[in-house]
Amino acid sequence: MEVVEMAVPQPKANEAVVKLAASGVNFVDVYFREGRYKAAVLPFVLGQEGAGVITDVGAEAKSVKVGDRVAWTGVQGAYAEYAAVPADRLVPIPQAVSDQQAAAAMLQGMTAHYVSHDTYQLKQGETALVHAAAGGVGLLLVQMAHNIGARVIATVSTEEKAKLARAAGAHEVILYTHSDFEAETKRLTDGKGVNVVYDSVGKTTFEKGLNVLRPRGMMVLFGGSSGAVPPFDPVLLLQKGSLYLTRPTLVNYIATREELVARSGAVFSMIATGKLKLRIEHTYPLAEVQRAHRDLEGRKTTGKLLMMP
Amino acid sequence: MSVRSQANTIMRAIRVQLTGGPEVMESADVPVPQPKPAEALVKVSVAGVNAIDGYFRDGRFRTPLPFIPGQEGAGVVTAVGAQAKTVKVGDRVAWSGVLGSYADFVVSPEEHLVPVPETLTDQQAAAAMVHGLTAHYLVNDAHKLKAGETALVHAAAGGVGLLLVQMARAVGARVIGTASSEEKARLAREAGADEVIVFTKHDFEAEVKRLTDGKGVEVVYDGVGKATFEKNLNVMRLRGMLVLYGMSSGPVLPVDPAKLSEKGSLYMARTTLAHFTATRDELLARTRALFGMIAEGKLKLRIAKTYPLADAAQSHRDMEARKIAGKLLLIP
Repeated sequence: MEVVEMAVPQPKANEAVVKLAASGVNFVDVYFREGRYKAAVLPFVLGQEGAGVITDVGAEAKSVKVGDRVAWTGVQGAYAEYAAVPADRLVPIPQAVSDQQAAAAMLQGMTAHYVSHDTYQLKQGETALVHAAAGGVGLLLVQMAHNIGARVIATVSTEEKAKLARAAGAHEVILYTHSDFEAETKRLTDGKGVNVVYDSVGKTTFEKGLNVLRPRGMMVLFGGSSGAVPPFDPVLLLQKGSLYLTRPTLVNYIATREELVARSGAVFSMIATGKLKLRIEHTYPLAEVQRAHRDLEGRKTTGKLLMMP
Repeated sequence: MSVRSQANTIMRAIRVQLTGGPEVMESADVPVPQPKPAEALVKVSVAGVNAIDGYFRDGRFRTPLPFIPGQEGAGVVTAVGAQAKTVKVGDRVAWSGVLGSYADFVVSPEEHLVPVPETLTDQQAAAAMVHGLTAHYLVNDAHKLKAGETALVHAAAGGVGLLLVQMARAVGARVIGTASSEEKARLAREAGADEVIVFTKHDFEAEVKRLTDGKGVEVVYDGVGKATFEKNLNVMRLRGMLVLYGMSSGPVLPVDPAKLSEKGSLYMARTTLAHFTATRDELLARTRALFGMIAEGKLKLRIAKTYPLADAAQSHRDMEARKIAGKLLLIP
């Protein structure tokens, strides 16, 4: 990753050009940088998430105008002063939400929102197990689950992260480095298990996760920070109690313009009303992008990293 | 011992001493079982024949040998254990999930026995328990089907399939069925399927896409397993649900969860009836709903053939040849 000067992009007919105020740093950026995910062309500008002000619009971009404060996710090119983005992927930022908050919330906030409100519609009185509860999505998911009225059992790796998960609203926190989360979850639920497991860890947690689900419970596998879950025998789902498995991704939960606007609006409203607290841990100038990635990959961070172009 | 008392302590049953093909089922005289304190003894008037009986018979599912096959039936309670509270002698009852039903008498935990209303015959009750309760939980709970949704029902002329199609239509869903022959396709259409794909002539993946303008279906109900799995993933719309409830073609091979993501954030479940009738309350509520539909004529059972108990082996041959559409029953 190197900082270069290049021409400000021109909007295509359906695009708008945004002057970036903040860009989110995400693991997906690391995957594209490494080549694990392939960019369409090389060289390319990294970054999938940002917020800023529209400076130019294409002829057919009807939903936005110059001067609008907007945010987006899922379009490459946010590690820059300007980015051209399809207009239908830009969502308005309400006044009560800052650019930094908007940029920080798009990917992780909407992910926490769709897994808790749509993939598995969590209900009051249900119990959810949230892995990596002090992670970027985890801290937001715990708050949303708590606000719904669900009981949250969280797993974390350190005492410090346990404190953060508790502050976010987790009722029980398991330090999986000290105790077995399967045994602990069973103990905490009187052997009944949980209604849903939210798992972004993958390989190291999957099988045990199936063991802590109650009959007809759901495994929501939405990431693989420990590696991909290998192929598994579906009869396991039967043997462990007619279980459900899904492997969702955000893009399928903001597929239409209506859903994108509704979901981002719901998240922004939670932020504006103080129901959802973002933890912006560090901001970096664009020139320090390498440090930002090193910090993220070091896994010592517990909050959102932003770049300020 | 007098002849009379011997008649009361010995019964006819189908016995399996070694697992294998239909021929391992032999008719035998065995002692009438005695109910434990929380059990009841039932005189079986009808026993249902199900795919699972074949799995126990051929050893795919294990149980100690020798055993009496059969999981489903209807009859009359003739004795109760000292602690049995919910049933009494003379009650007409039906059950599923009670091994040993291919016999004159079976003992069952009392909580597995459900009352049969006067409006239903024993044959109807026996025929409805496994297939009917399965169709009911699939449509109402495994995936709560809604009016306006489109469901793909594999083996739509099969035992579960014909009932599932009727229930799916009753909630207002559009039903696309698959069947192996024109004759079975006709039965599926009569049951209410909006479209039927004869999968031996047409590729069901291409047909489902065509019939849904490329959008795919909200839910796939699949009791077939191995043969249909991969293509199922290609005919579901975004965030669609695959409910696997059987494996008539063999078990599904290991699944890479990433596929569910790539094909559009799909869901899959592998379900079985026992988990949807796990509490007494749920069993009774589901059975009441099912029997109500039958009594009101909203759900038509297709009892294809009845056999004397001694012909159990033939019933399995017929079931496994897949030529008879509808329920097979044994009459002890």
